[in-house]
Amino acid sequence: MKMDSTRRINFDDQISRNKLKSFFLMVIVFTVLVILGYVISFAFDPGYFFVIMIIAIIFSVGYILISYYNSDKIAIASVGAKEADKLKYREFYDLVEGLTIASGLPMPKLYIMPSRQINAFASGRDPKHAVVCVTEGALEKLDKKELEGVLAHELGHVSSYDIRYMTFVAVMVGMISIVSEIFLRSLWFRGNDRENNQGNAIFLIIGIILAVLAPIIVYFVQLAISRKREFNADASAVKFTRYPPGLIGALKKIKKETEPEKKVSKAVAPLFFSNPFKDIGSTHPDIDKRIQVLEKM
Amino acid sequence: MIEWIILGIIVLVVLVFFTYFNRFAVLGNRIDNSLSQIDVQLKRRADLIPNLIETVKGYAKHETAAIKTVTEARKALVAAENVEKKVKANEKLESALKSIFAIAENYPNLKANENFLELQRELTTTEDKISYARQYYNDSILSYNTLCTTMPGLFFANLYGKKKREYLQIAAKEREPVKVKFD
Repeated sequence: MKMDSTRRINFDDQISRNKLKSFFLMVIVFTVLVILGYVISFAFDPGYFFVIMIIAIIFSVGYILISYYNSDKIAIASVGAKEADKLKYREFYDLVEGLTIASGLPMPKLYIMPSRQINAFASGRDPKHAVVCVTEGALEKLDKKELEGVLAHELGHVSSYDIRYMTFVAVMVGMISIVSEIFLRSLWFRGNDRENNQGNAIFLIIGIILAVLAPIIVYFVQLAISRKREFNADASAVKFTRYPPGLIGALKKIKKETEPEKKVSKAVAPLFFSNPFKDIGSTHPDIDKRIQVLEKM
Repeated sequence: MIEWIILGIIVLVVLVFFTYFNRFAVLGNRIDNSLSQIDVQLKRRADLIPNLIETVKGYAKHETAAIKTVTEARKALVAAENVEKKVKANEKLESALKSIFAIAENYPNLKANENFLELQRELTTTEDKISYARQYYNDSILSYNTLCTTMPGLFFANLYGKKKREYLQIAAKEREPVKVKFD
């Protein structure tokens, strides 16, 4: 295998790291939400402490569980994808079946998303509950080997548990937007209340800082991690197909493409094979750089 | 306090022993599974042949030699008793099929036949899947052997009596990238 000569990636390490990070993210989300309940109960009325705390715990557990178990459905629904018809999209199914054999992964559910752009993404909480979605544009414009490369890249995300980690990143981003909303709204409520003591004022300041800083921090964290993930998924794709030219061909076609993407929300952009928003080159590494690395394999 | 530390260390050591035992089991199973996956695909391939022969006979009766080679190659594939021999038989079948598909070029009606096209597509797909299964088998053996021959896996391999697995002679053919020339 030619991969040995270049950078070696330990795929097992990658999986356990992703699982651990997912777990930490979950703990962070839970803790922050519970602390939020605590802060709210003190800021408004300490008398309701227990009631508010119980509600906060139920809410955060519910929020985490629902997003964890439905991450695939949420992602699919948010881009308006439909399950791929087995008879109509034979080649799509055949290619993924071949790749699941090559990678030892279970067969994911396959979806097609209406878009002219060449793109694809994978989601789900683990390989057994994974979904792989490609755009109509990708099925149309890529040849068999190129499409196979793209699908192998997505299965790379599945096998490394990137999909689980990305799910929790999305959950955290969602949580932070909830927290900032609540704090900003609470500012409005406080306006009428002139009997504030100093403690409340401190909470307020913390709240404002959190509300402003948190989304920015999360955004940058997300950018940094997803770049490395793309390179690793490219490497997995080569491991599965043993055929870098397929993936390189797909990347070159994407580079030439000028279709703008309007339907995709920014929150799910990191999930995609290539950045759906070409103008802000951010969540994904530069295509030229990816091609360069692949050519060395 | 000391008791707890000792207890903690014991638990940790036991966990490490369990983990390595399981890793050998998981990687070993992966090898067996990938081998049976090759078998599954080979069987599917063998099942497709009679249909193909029927279709070809309908349009190209006179090509008895080519038809006979395919039928015989299939027979050998079905009769082979282990995966290693089946893979070898499949390679013969593959080249026999190539000549059938080449012959089909001379029979426009056959070439346009819906059924024939479908079978041709299926056979190509199963061939792709076989080569993927062989590749995965290869990878599985490689990771098992790496575990067996590097520390700390080597220590546990000796402890549990696990030995390096031998590659069957069915290593995946490396797919060479297609070279395109522009003159």
